[in-house]
Amino acid sequence: MFCCPYIMWRSGGEDLQGFYPVRPECLADVPRTRFKSRAGKTLSARRWHAAFTEDGHLDMEKVLRRIQRGGIHPSIKGAVWEFLLGCYDPDSTFDERTKLRTLRREQYAAWKQECKTMVPVLGTGTYITMAVVQQNGEPIDESSVENQGWVVKETVRDERVLQWMLSLHQIGLDVARTDRYLSFYEDGANQSKLWDVLAIYTWLNLDIGYVQGMNDICSPMIILFEDEADAFWCFERAMRRLRENFRATATSMGVQTQLGVLSQVIKTVDPRLHQHLEDLDGGEYLFAIRMLMVLFRREFSFLDALYLWELMWAMEYNPNMFATYEELEDRNNNNNAADDPKLLKRYGKFERKYVNSGKNERHSNTIAVFVVASVLQTKNKRLLKEAKGLDDVVQILGDIAGNLDAKKACKEALKIHEKFLKKANRP
Amino acid sequence: MAFHSEDDKSEDYLFKIVLIGDSAVGKSNLLARFARDEFYPNSKSTIGVEFQTQKMDINGKEIKAQIWDTAGQERFRAVTSAYYRGAVGALLVYDISRQQTFQSIGRWLNELHTHSDMNVVTILVGNKSDLKGIREVPTSEGKALAEAQGLFFMETSALDSSNVAAAFETVVKEIYNILSRKVMSSQELNKQDPASLSNGKKVVIPSEEQGESKKGGCCST
Repeated sequence: MFCCPYIMWRSGGEDLQGFYPVRPECLADVPRTRFKSRAGKTLSARRWHAAFTEDGHLDMEKVLRRIQRGGIHPSIKGAVWEFLLGCYDPDSTFDERTKLRTLRREQYAAWKQECKTMVPVLGTGTYITMAVVQQNGEPIDESSVENQGWVVKETVRDERVLQWMLSLHQIGLDVARTDRYLSFYEDGANQSKLWDVLAIYTWLNLDIGYVQGMNDICSPMIILFEDEADAFWCFERAMRRLRENFRATATSMGVQTQLGVLSQVIKTVDPRLHQHLEDLDGGEYLFAIRMLMVLFRREFSFLDALYLWELMWAMEYNPNMFATYEELEDRNNNNNAADDPKLLKRYGKFERKYVNSGKNERHSNTIAVFVVASVLQTKNKRLLKEAKGLDDVVQILGDIAGNLDAKKACKEALKIHEKFLKKANRP
Repeated sequence: MAFHSEDDKSEDYLFKIVLIGDSAVGKSNLLARFARDEFYPNSKSTIGVEFQTQKMDINGKEIKAQIWDTAGQERFRAVTSAYYRGAVGALLVYDISRQQTFQSIGRWLNELHTHSDMNVVTILVGNKSDLKGIREVPTSEGKALAEAQGLFFMETSALDSSNVAAAFETVVKEIYNILSRKVMSSQELNKQDPASLSNGKKVVIPSEEQGESKKGGCCST
């Protein structure tokens, strides 16, 4: 392999941390960032702009290839994420997208207005941290100071409105401690932007409501997008993949479905490790909840988590995603793609495996599960040798903070995925 | 036992303790203060469960407190309550500057009693005692509730560290005392007896499911 010093200098020289500055007094508490923009690998602004035709059609195949090789340069992350997450169709023109964006912003403004009539604090640059109503809908008036002088005046009788109002202070309590080590959130207006988006999302998704951890998913969107409505839509699309994890009942949480898949995967690819965990009463894999719910936000530095996310999303990319979300008729369904290598290239590496196997049913396996599996596998020896209780398992997995390489983890995840599909399909 | 190793002898006892209470009352920072003498003004919400172990010395015995820190939001109840099983101690935390967190204590007690199959040594903790200016729950109210429910009580501040170690130690010492009495009485009887004792409060040390692995809920002497 040939590597000249000039390339080395070019690839490693840029201070990317500057894109998401950390408050100086918090530097010691933050995991170090491993991500580096690499020439020839990372999707750069130049490459990105070159991937559009004159009228705005995007060569997604090329873009995906780049991202899967080296992530996205911070200067264009938001714009690229919109395509990765299915906010926009790469097969559309600049004009079409501008129209759609305008529509979406108007829609968001309307929802915001609807919420604002119920809770005037919304959109004022401040937010609520104290409960405003009791479970029975009666107002709590002593909280007015903390809630910017606003109180609910009458008993809330509408069940939906009540459910929503009951969650508002929880959102506030979490916003107040979301990524506060980043300089960005020193500005109260940015905190309240996060609160607004989460509150409005909650209003529109009352079947799941607000659950702790959504703030960790939403925060990067607030940072990446200048426009609040754009941030909302990107978050909304990301949540399409994640929302079931947050569905909670009295007896279970949605994420346990993924934990069940994880259990199946480890059982299949590393039966010894699975048995060991089961012996430690960890067969339910509850210790992996956080990794799956906030997609490794706590194990990685801010920038590295974003890098991991875009790798995963690129690998999971399905060209029909936009149409599915928009509930349009699928232009090309998976059946054809399996026979057509050209079409197949438009899928991410992970998604391709499913399409290729000819299985057409919607699968609920996400690459995140396999990334967790890869993390467990890399710790396999220590877990087998040193873990004598669930506490040791948590401890050993806790040591990975700041020590994981996002790309390696994804690469391993793909391998495990392949192994799993092979073994699982064996009669 | 399959997982027994040499260094087991260094720890005389292992107690599982849970930290519960409403969101943002300071559970994680109480633990950080106790286990590492640290405080994070920028700490994040706990997702699911996290944990720390802390070694303590009680009457010359080394005791390992395994402390499970849980998410405060009710939505997590289904998964956090799974961790109550096997707990012998609990810190039930509220924030003295937020009345609402104190009102939830009853709910948390029910929760604890439903999911832990034994009576757990419990201390009621009014945290953030440094916030004197905006106190909403008088000390006397906390004390009264604790007495009515038969709980220990203490006001703490994870920020200025007052009473933090004392709160944990109170729980651990009590578990230890109950346990030593239990060991003494069971030595006369049979060692297998799963220890139910009457000293005002009934404390049963779990031994069934966890006794199988190296780290039983307690006593690996």
